[in-house]
Amino acid sequence: MKGTYLGEFEELVLLTVGALYPEAYGVAIMDDIKSETGRSVNISAIHSAMRRLEDKGFVKSFMGGATNERGGRRKRYFELTSYGKKALDDAQSMRAKLYNRIPDISFGQS
Amino acid sequence: MSINRKISPPRLARRFLQLYCKSEFLEEIEGDVFELFERRVEESPAKAKLLFHWDVLRFFRLSNIKQIKKSNSNFIQMTRNNFKIAARVLWKQKTNTVLNVGSIAIGMACFILISLYVKQEVSFDKFHENGDRIYRTWSEEDYGEGQRFFYTSSPLPLAPTLEENIPEVEAITLVDYGNYLVGEGENRLNERIAMVSNNFFDVFSFELIKGNQANALGRNDIVLTESYALKYFGSDEPVGKTLTVQLGSEKVNYNVSAIIPDMPKNTGFQMNMIVSNEDMERFYSARAQQAWFNIGPETFVLLKENTAQDAVESKFPAMINSVLGDDIEEGQYVLGLQPLEDIHLNPDFPASAYPVGNPNYVYVLATIGLLVLIMACINYTTLSTGQSIRRAKEVGIRKVVGAQKGGLIWQYLSESILITACATLVGIGLAYALLPTFNHLAGTQIEIPVDAQSIAVYGLIVLFVGIATGIYPAFVLSNLKLIAIIRGGSSGGRGVGVLRKALIVFQLLLTIFLISGSLVMKQQLNFLQNSDVGYEKEAMVYLNMYPKDGSEGIFRQIDSGFENAEIIKAKLSQYPEVTDLGATMHIFGTPGWTTMGFRDLNDQFRQFHLVLTDPYFISGFGIEMVAGRDFDPNLEIDKRESILINESAAEYFFGTEDPVGKKLPGEEFGKHTIIGVTKDFNFQSLHTQVEPLVISQNSEPITQGISDLTFDSYPIPKVFFKYKGESLLGVQALLENVWAETFPNEELVFDFVDERLKLMYEDEARVNKIAGIATIISVLIASFGLLGLTILVVNTKVKEIGIRKVLGASPMTIMNILVRQFGIQLLLAFVISIPITWYIMNQWLSDFAYRIDVGIVVFLISGLLSFLLMLMVIAYHAIRASRINPVKALRVE
Repeated sequence: MKGTYLGEFEELVLLTVGALYPEAYGVAIMDDIKSETGRSVNISAIHSAMRRLEDKGFVKSFMGGATNERGGRRKRYFELTSYGKKALDDAQSMRAKLYNRIPDISFGQS
Repeated sequence: MSINRKISPPRLARRFLQLYCKSEFLEEIEGDVFELFERRVEESPAKAKLLFHWDVLRFFRLSNIKQIKKSNSNFIQMTRNNFKIAARVLWKQKTNTVLNVGSIAIGMACFILISLYVKQEVSFDKFHENGDRIYRTWSEEDYGEGQRFFYTSSPLPLAPTLEENIPEVEAITLVDYGNYLVGEGENRLNERIAMVSNNFFDVFSFELIKGNQANALGRNDIVLTESYALKYFGSDEPVGKTLTVQLGSEKVNYNVSAIIPDMPKNTGFQMNMIVSNEDMERFYSARAQQAWFNIGPETFVLLKENTAQDAVESKFPAMINSVLGDDIEEGQYVLGLQPLEDIHLNPDFPASAYPVGNPNYVYVLATIGLLVLIMACINYTTLSTGQSIRRAKEVGIRKVVGAQKGGLIWQYLSESILITACATLVGIGLAYALLPTFNHLAGTQIEIPVDAQSIAVYGLIVLFVGIATGIYPAFVLSNLKLIAIIRGGSSGGRGVGVLRKALIVFQLLLTIFLISGSLVMKQQLNFLQNSDVGYEKEAMVYLNMYPKDGSEGIFRQIDSGFENAEIIKAKLSQYPEVTDLGATMHIFGTPGWTTMGFRDLNDQFRQFHLVLTDPYFISGFGIEMVAGRDFDPNLEIDKRESILINESAAEYFFGTEDPVGKKLPGEEFGKHTIIGVTKDFNFQSLHTQVEPLVISQNSEPITQGISDLTFDSYPIPKVFFKYKGESLLGVQALLENVWAETFPNEELVFDFVDERLKLMYEDEARVNKIAGIATIISVLIASFGLLGLTILVVNTKVKEIGIRKVLGASPMTIMNILVRQFGIQLLLAFVISIPITWYIMNQWLSDFAYRIDVGIVVFLISGLLSFLLMLMVIAYHAIRASRINPVKALRVE
């Protein structure tokens, strides 16, 4: 299995999955990324990212109930696992640690 | 329900998605793309459909694609496993692998290069769209008594006659060449220009890349190849520019109408400048346009589809009879067709402008290429059969756990296929690297094509060679008796050893044969180039003269050429390094001196060659006289009516009588006297015997008496001299000086006589060089094989050698044992090679009128050479084996 490294795009997707809980599925994640960051992503990229995240154990998934939409096809919903939450926390804290070490000098005017 | 709901996603894309997508992902993926589609369709159905396609395409990723077949085929699994094992085995036995890959790679490189050359030769003009319907006409006139003329050029009235009389003819195109001065003022160049019919580009499939493609050959149009466009116009746009061509006394401005790519190497139409022959009178005299017995261009006929050659040919006699009935009797003039694709390799038809190669040489080379490849294959076969002892245990274990014979065979075959594939890759690389050397040495211009077709061919070769080399070891190994292997002891029957030895003998035989063969060829070539031709050829230089402007008729042109020659001679004679000056109509090294025929007093048809010279020809070339005297420059009568003949002519015309003071035995000849007889000198190629020759200063008395005349080589006079200076560059500088002040508008063309002579044996020299390369390669391959076998033998005899040493054998004795192993085989191969080489080389030599004998020396040299080679290859390992401490060898086990 691949390493458990969290890539930039994966992190973004993982955050979105957490934020959308309990309604996180392919198209919703794509829409959310588009509205929050302005990044338009193809749906297939979301699917591959989700599959990688699931392989790494950051998310778990289950099939939802059938609806009238989508030609009657079910949705696959994703949820953060505690391991995934921890990975996000780690990323966050590492970022904060590094961020705080930036010396307090004023930028933009030399 | 809204109307929008009725629009469903494109069916094709949906089908495609269902086709490739893994079933466990299908539902969610479909769901998501459907949802997106439903959302988008509200805005624009067309865009939604487009995006739907796009999404489906984007989902087409490896992780989503179904496995094509989930079958767990044993065959495929085992093949994969086999290749893995093969790679490990090959990696483990590095020396062996290197020797095997090396020899097959070298053999393959040689094979590829030679086969490309052969392919070029056999593919001449096979690329024309209508190629199978294009024929060239030939004519044969036979008036009995050896008065027979056979030619593939044709008279000018033939084309219109064919068009009128033969309905099956779709198109006729004439092809002819002439040398004309191109350009203006100071920089005129003598170029070979093709004169063709307007429909040339319709009949033959040559591509026009620029300019007027529909009708490139108008009256005043000229078509250039890319390289000639570059030569004349540099980077400027050539189309529309003007080129001036001097045609006889007329200067014509041609307009560049179109550009073609440079002619491919495998076409007989080597043209760089092409003009239309629509204005016949520019190129041919009015008489020639009507004359049936004056030949010029080659006539190519395109027949209508589904027309048989015989059907058309059967109509020719009636046609000939209707146009020529008054002049000839029936059957004296036969017209026929020769398929275009047959011309290049058919020496039975006389050559015209279209080059004709010697098919025998092509076959010889193809055989050599194949032999080298076979030798490389034999290496692999013998080595891996020898290795079988080592592999026996592996086979035993495999058999115990239930391997089938077929499976084992397939396993060893995959090994040989793998090794051939590696070797072929290396071989192709090698061929690429050696291509320039090969082209340079062999005087060829081949390229290695990279396209799907040739890759497929390489693949097939790999498969074929892999199976051919591996099949025998595979059978040997898989046939090993299980009990014998497990018990240990000797494996493999007696038959294996015999066949292996036979293969080695065969391989050595090929090597020795190639060595002796190329030695014989080399000797014959040296003989041809160094043999006494009867005249001085060292340091003799000649330069072409030009007729004066406006001289009409071939003999007037020749005379005016002689007049120009006098001017040049006068200037050259002032230089001390120039001696033996003279002028002649034909020079040595150009075949096809003027041939003339007449009826003698007994009404017998006689043919002889004529050369017109100045009085210094005999003395200049140091030709010996056997009777009478040479021309005297001070005698006016010699200029008018004295002639010389050679010994052959003396015997041909007069038998044993003394010809001096007599006349040629014909009624119509003008006033002339034979004043001397020269010793026979070989004015043609050494392929043929010396033929009767008449030497005269004045053409008139001779031409009056003849009934026919053939010029095969350019009859305009040449000035010749012996150059005594030191450097070759000196000649060029000297001639350029003299030429520029005498004929500033003409191109200087000069050459050395011995260089020209070498060109006459170009074909032989090329074959000899390619055969030489192949010989070196075969020696290499054979040494590789011997080296591998020596290592093998040394390894299996480690104990024997150890025991012998303990008992007091000297290193020489040990060496002796090893040498004897191969010595007998080498001796056998040598003995068998003698009759084979002798027979085959004598066949080859029978092509030459003057030839060497295949002597014993050749065999001694090649035998000694191969023996020394074997010693060299064996020596290192033999010495190492004989010096090894016997304790080490015997301690094992």
